[in-house]
Amino acid sequence: MLPDEIMQRIDREFPCRELQIRHLCALFSPSLPAPSLLVAHGLTATGKTSVIKTFLSLAEIPHAFINSRECITGRHLLERTTAACLDALDGHGGEGEGKIDRRPYARTENINALAMNLQRMLENWGQARLVLVLDGIDAQREAPATLLAALARFGERIPSLSIILITTLPPTTLHKPGTPHLHFPAYTRSALLQILNLHPPTIFPEPPSLEQYPDYTPDLAAEDDAWLWNRFLGAVWDSLSKHTGRDLISFRNTSMRLWRDFVRPITDGTFGTRDFSRLMVNRRHLFQGEEAVLDRIISAPDPNIAPSANGLPSTPSTALARKTKTIQHDLPYYTTHLLIAAYLASYNPSRTDPTYFMKHTDKRKNRRRVHTNNLTTASTPNTKARRIPRHLLTPSPFPLDRLLAIFRALLEGPVPQVADVAGGQAGGDVLEVGGRWRVGFGWEWVRGLGRGVGIEVGEYLVGGVEG
Amino acid sequence: MEHQRCYIYDPDQADGRSAKRQRTAKLASQAQLPARLQTYHELWSLQNQRIQATLEESEKVTQENIATFIRRTTEGVRDDLAGIPSGLIVAGPSIASHGPFFDRLGRRIKNITDSAYLVLTSGESPNLKTLLKNLIKKATSRVDDDDEEDLGRPSVSSRNAPKLLDFDLGHLQEWRNRNRVQSVVVVLQDSEAFDSGVLEQLVELVYSWRDRLPFVLLFGIATSAESFEDRLSGRTTRYLEGQKFDVTQSDEIIEKLFSAIVASTNVPLRIGPGLSRRILERQKDHVQNVQDFSDGLKYGYMSHFYANCTSIFLKDGLSFEDVSPEIFEAVRNLPSFRIRVEMMLEKSETNEIRSLLTSDQDLFQDTTANVDQGKQILYALSSAAIVFARLRHSLHVSPNVPLSSIWIRAASGDMVGSPLLRETMLSVKKLPSDKLDQLLTAFHGLDVTYFPINLSAYHHELTDLLKKSSSSTPLRTQHDVRNESLRTTVVAQKVLLSKHKANLSEEDNAYSDLVARLHDELDEYFSTTFIDPRALYLSEVLIYDLKSPHTEVFQPKPRFAIERALASPHDYLGCECCGVDNERAEDASLASTQPATAILYQLYLESGAIINVSDLWSAFNTIAGDAEDENTESKTMALFQRSLAELKYLGLIKPTKKKADHIAKAMWRGL
Repeated sequence: MLPDEIMQRIDREFPCRELQIRHLCALFSPSLPAPSLLVAHGLTATGKTSVIKTFLSLAEIPHAFINSRECITGRHLLERTTAACLDALDGHGGEGEGKIDRRPYARTENINALAMNLQRMLENWGQARLVLVLDGIDAQREAPATLLAALARFGERIPSLSIILITTLPPTTLHKPGTPHLHFPAYTRSALLQILNLHPPTIFPEPPSLEQYPDYTPDLAAEDDAWLWNRFLGAVWDSLSKHTGRDLISFRNTSMRLWRDFVRPITDGTFGTRDFSRLMVNRRHLFQGEEAVLDRIISAPDPNIAPSANGLPSTPSTALARKTKTIQHDLPYYTTHLLIAAYLASYNPSRTDPTYFMKHTDKRKNRRRVHTNNLTTASTPNTKARRIPRHLLTPSPFPLDRLLAIFRALLEGPVPQVADVAGGQAGGDVLEVGGRWRVGFGWEWVRGLGRGVGIEVGEYLVGGVEG
Repeated sequence: MEHQRCYIYDPDQADGRSAKRQRTAKLASQAQLPARLQTYHELWSLQNQRIQATLEESEKVTQENIATFIRRTTEGVRDDLAGIPSGLIVAGPSIASHGPFFDRLGRRIKNITDSAYLVLTSGESPNLKTLLKNLIKKATSRVDDDDEEDLGRPSVSSRNAPKLLDFDLGHLQEWRNRNRVQSVVVVLQDSEAFDSGVLEQLVELVYSWRDRLPFVLLFGIATSAESFEDRLSGRTTRYLEGQKFDVTQSDEIIEKLFSAIVASTNVPLRIGPGLSRRILERQKDHVQNVQDFSDGLKYGYMSHFYANCTSIFLKDGLSFEDVSPEIFEAVRNLPSFRIRVEMMLEKSETNEIRSLLTSDQDLFQDTTANVDQGKQILYALSSAAIVFARLRHSLHVSPNVPLSSIWIRAASGDMVGSPLLRETMLSVKKLPSDKLDQLLTAFHGLDVTYFPINLSAYHHELTDLLKKSSSSTPLRTQHDVRNESLRTTVVAQKVLLSKHKANLSEEDNAYSDLVARLHDELDEYFSTTFIDPRALYLSEVLIYDLKSPHTEVFQPKPRFAIERALASPHDYLGCECCGVDNERAEDASLASTQPATAILYQLYLESGAIINVSDLWSAFNTIAGDAEDENTESKTMALFQRSLAELKYLGLIKPTKKKADHIAKAMWRGL
């Protein structure tokens, strides 16, 4: 395929990336020697991987593509690289040649072995050049320290190999002058709108029947969809996505989440398909909340989906509904207290325990709730350093006996010996001597728990918590 | 804690047995143990079937939903930007019941959908590599040839092509190419215990493989879906596209189980009210665990048939030859037998008594008859409890009392004359006709074997009355508050309140009559069936209500026991040497006769958070050692070392780096 054709085709598929495609075509032009190393960098969702992948396969350049995310260790990356290169060579081998004898390449223990293996397999290979693409190499787990630097110098020893590194930021450790860098900038507003306009979603989940509305042809419907979607996208960008989640995927997700709600008046028949300004006024609350911007595992339930387990229809995922459903299961009485005790043990420093949990009061030590009011400390900034409320810090580990001591202090009356400690969420070996524990749940949850059994947890937390 | 190991073999001269009481004597009650065992197996397997049926029934809806969810992911074309389909299964706080739940879920999913079902627990997934290895191992049933985990070397020696590493998901892909499953369901059973870093890496990995392997992730969650979501980073949440599934609350399941196993009619052996109350309270206060609940009941059954030889009378089709004479002796010694004999004596039925006491044959006839009769009475009692619970339910009397507590009250014999019963019967009296109609309809389909009242006759009568009455308002009885009016009269500056009955219409009168009859019959029924089952003859055979075996097994106090044994060894040893003066002084003085570990423990109790080992040794030597004889010091030292090692083994002390030659205290007494 000619470079121009390739360019057109990729451009159709990935709009707003002409410059990058042009660069790629120039660098990997069949008539010119290709660079031994190319660094493609750009933020997430800027089309780095897709553009390069599509370009290489369209230009029919033999290439091996390795996704670093799928490699668990540095060794894994090396092994996979060898295997992928062998596959690529096999795939592009001529008719007459058989498969490459893989026996010499059984192990790739380290970066040297990879260099040797690549050198050996490319020596006898007739064709011009193999391109090795390492996607997301900066996020490689357990990568050897010299990985990037070594990869950058592979081209010096193996003439018929080109390496493309795809990273988020340009690597600073690459001490090699003259390496071409290809930057994929984030899409601008107009670019985003142009891309998302390619596939507008439909206004009506099911197209209106032709018998009922013979005038409303599918063409007309598609035109309406595109028109409304375009304006809607602009509104979403200006109100929400400009400020947070500016990348293509977040923007797309946000828009898709809002779309159904946005066009509901049209499907109900309240407004016509072109009443954009009235729709905006009517649905303005959609653009005021943050719900659409947040990524959630449980997406807003589809009304078509069968009701949830208890036979109750699942409620829409508004903030209110979620709040009320936070505590699903009532815990047993003592387990609740244990968990609260665990929370307190994890968030309070142990030296404050006497102040909070001793039964008799020692006047000298009772300095409870000294740092309660952050406002007063803020007004006199020189006297005291400002403190972060404890519940916003990470939990610290504590020994089991401290947990049990606090547990006894919380409960009034005699405590039975047995309580189910396994209800707590601790990692590690439970039986380890003097093992240290740590809680795995947050403030909101423990406060709910405490209120369930009549303990205001905030009163026991050092520094106190308002609300 | 720096010490060298030393071994001194110096067996005691005196014969070794301590004075501890030992229960080794062969008990006579072991008569016919195999027969009782068999009876136990018969009865319990019935109960176990009920348990399984109840559990499956209660989980059915959730499991169906999950299976549908999985099936839907495999149908339909998926958008390539969509996340991994994932189910958040909120399975409740009892970790122990998660395992069986996911087992049952797995069976169902495999039945319904064409998918691989792989369960991972946090224990086998400390990091991503191990997690993947286990996952692949489970899927491909590949046997790991050795434990060289960390090398991650190619699994077979390198004669041929490069092999995939152990943790490469390529294995899974190969396996799927061979087995062609629709989807790979990966279950993270206790997702809270997973390191969130590992979870995030796994999700990311699965996401990038989703074009080659159709993964479905299921997360078992003990707390709530929201707190699970909060633990993951925003990017990871974007990769997941989930749905939440709620498992039935465990207290509801427990209630259902209780109704099915303890309170239902056709149960030969009853778990008594005291034990039931104890088990239910334990569920409320300590653990919420279906497994534990059924284990408790099972243990009750086992203890009954093991320790009570008269329990053989619960066997179906028992003949006289099957029963050995010891058992008849045991029956004659039962408290309820004695009470019965005394009562017969008062009625001077001496001949019958004589025959019961002398003839085994007669006793056998009498006992089997009475056991059957007792069973019937208990069936009737349970049936009445069920009727009563239904009655309250359809009357909408608040507070809502569950069947379990009604049954427990009935079985402890304090139902008759209780406020609960009285209140309910009062509201029956005031029942308007539309409610009564609902009530009678609700009682349709009731097991009427032990229910003497002919409700359908009442129903007919009611419909006749309703046909006759012309007005649309429901008929009311004379006790209904709306038929009373309050009248105030002022007589000599005093306000008098008087109640006046409104005049009742003819239909209302007839209706009042009907309700009054129903009320009387119900009252009669309840007062005859709610007897005290513990006063029943042979209740020892029919009811198991012993507290202590259950407490010892299900609520042991290991920590307390160890602390007590160490702090006052006399309590357990019962020997004369250290016991005498300890009787008076509570916190016993230390004596050299005590076991070395106990001495050391008591010294340990007196010290602070960090203990100097050298001081500890000198104190120990003063008590346990012999001051005059220099030679014994090495022996004392050996004892000291051993005791120290034992304390360490018990987890009481640990080495510390804070101070040289010190050990840290790890446990405090009385927690």
